[in-house]
Amino acid sequence: MARQDRPVGYGLPLLLAIGLHLAILVASVLRFPDEEVAPPSTTIVQATLVSTETTTDQAQRAEEARAQAEARQAEQEEATRAEQEAARQAEEEEAARQAEAEAKAEAKAEAQRQADAEAREAARREAEEEAARRAAKAEEQAREREARAERRREAEAERQRQAEAEAERKRQAEAEAERKRQAEAEAERKRQAEAEAERKRQAEAEAERKRQAEAEAERKRQAEEAARRAAEAASQGLDRAIEGESDNVANARQATEAANSFINLVRRAVEQAWVIPPNVPDGSSAEVSVRLGPSGELFAATIGQSSGNSAFDRSAVQAVEAAAPFAELRQLPASAQRDYRQFNLRFRPGDIR
Amino acid sequence: MNDSLSIPHLIMNASGVVQAVMLILMIGSLLSWVVIFQRTFVMRRARKAHRRFEDRFWSGVDLNELYRETPAEQETLGAEHVFRSGFREFNRLLAKTRSPQAILEGVQRSMRVAWSREEDRLNLHLVFLATVASASPYIGLFGTVWGIMGSFQSLSMAQQATLATVAPWIAEALIATAMGLFAAIPAVIFYNRLSAESGRLLGKYEDFAEEFHSILHRNLQGRTDAGAD
Repeated sequence: MARQDRPVGYGLPLLLAIGLHLAILVASVLRFPDEEVAPPSTTIVQATLVSTETTTDQAQRAEEARAQAEARQAEQEEATRAEQEAARQAEEEEAARQAEAEAKAEAKAEAQRQADAEAREAARREAEEEAARRAAKAEEQAREREARAERRREAEAERQRQAEAEAERKRQAEAEAERKRQAEAEAERKRQAEAEAERKRQAEAEAERKRQAEAEAERKRQAEEAARRAAEAASQGLDRAIEGESDNVANARQATEAANSFINLVRRAVEQAWVIPPNVPDGSSAEVSVRLGPSGELFAATIGQSSGNSAFDRSAVQAVEAAAPFAELRQLPASAQRDYRQFNLRFRPGDIR
Repeated sequence: MNDSLSIPHLIMNASGVVQAVMLILMIGSLLSWVVIFQRTFVMRRARKAHRRFEDRFWSGVDLNELYRETPAEQETLGAEHVFRSGFREFNRLLAKTRSPQAILEGVQRSMRVAWSREEDRLNLHLVFLATVASASPYIGLFGTVWGIMGSFQSLSMAQQATLATVAPWIAEALIATAMGLFAAIPAVIFYNRLSAESGRLLGKYEDFAEEFHSILHRNLQGRTDAGAD
């Protein structure tokens, strides 16, 4: 039987072996850059703060404090203005009262004057009546006298007439005088009253002017005071704010450093405690809101944003519960503790199967 | 995995001893694969040749004719080699002695020599495969131990023992073990497979030698009976 084929050489096996090794090497080199492109596993659980009061918010707070101080100042100014207003009103009321009192006094005087006039009128009327009575009496007497002595009547009548005329004249003159006196007195009184009123008015106007000037001065002084106070407060507030700002920046830097490490710790702990359920779709992600107590114990872990897969949601909450308590919270600066007691964790399966 | 921990980068940045270990393992792996491919081809060819020869042998052809089919100077393999050496010895002894016992002994001896040559030929380089399979894990382990020693030395110089200072060293050290296993595992598997294959072939050759021996024995027995009559 012919052995047409030679014994197996080493050329082909060597080529095959080299080819195999090169293929493995190329596969290992080509595969790893692809894996680099894949997102790193550190983003499986993302933590976000809920209360985002950081250094910029501190600045905002300083701003707020300044605004509050301004508001307070404005309030104070308002109050002083109101006070001044009240004082002015009181003054005005006082003035009104005074004016009223004066008016009352005047009215009283007037009334008195009127009463006087009436009394005088009455007196005059009485006097006239008296005169009339007297005249009637005189007439009667005259009639008696006529009846008694008719002969002498003519003379007497003449006399009487003369007397009558005289009396009449006298009465008229008397009345005239009386009237004249009254008018004179009235005029005098009026003049006096007028003068008095004028004086009073002048005094009042003077007083008013003075009061106004005083009030004006007071107001000006108060306004100046308020402005000075406001400026002072503002400058103080600004100083305080600037001072606080630099402090805050330093504190915030420290706090953010500590807080970053805290957040990283929380993230790691939660990642390690996370048992991802099987058959989770690739893109699913769930957000868990976490509230911590002052010493890092877990108050509540609730699903903020569900992934739609209840098993996945439950696994995320269980991971947080298993990772709690986060005692590292107490190592944070006191100011930062409050901020980091509430945060959200985003769970994404990523490249972990 | 970042760039500094990719496998080529780690291999390039490894220390000299670890790199040497990796080179040895690489060469061992390469040679073991050469042996694997070569032996696989040899075994397949031997199996085919044996099947062909047996078909031919048991087809009722005259043994002299079968012997004369191939030229004497051509090297033959497997069962054919056993047959040819046995038949040649038989023909030579038949001309010189009348004792069937002496003839059969000589034939058996020459067939045992041929079988032994076939065994040697089939098991060629399988020992190398066994060596790679058993030694490369240890070589890789040596590289790993050396790398971890280096990592601890570097750790003693570092102020703070973080994972980042140890990780590259340990990754690099573990690559040596990985390469050792990478070389050893195929070597073990194919050594077992190929040695089983060669054992089976050698068993077949032995069976053939016994059958051929019994044929010659029957032939001589008939001849001595005829000579005695």
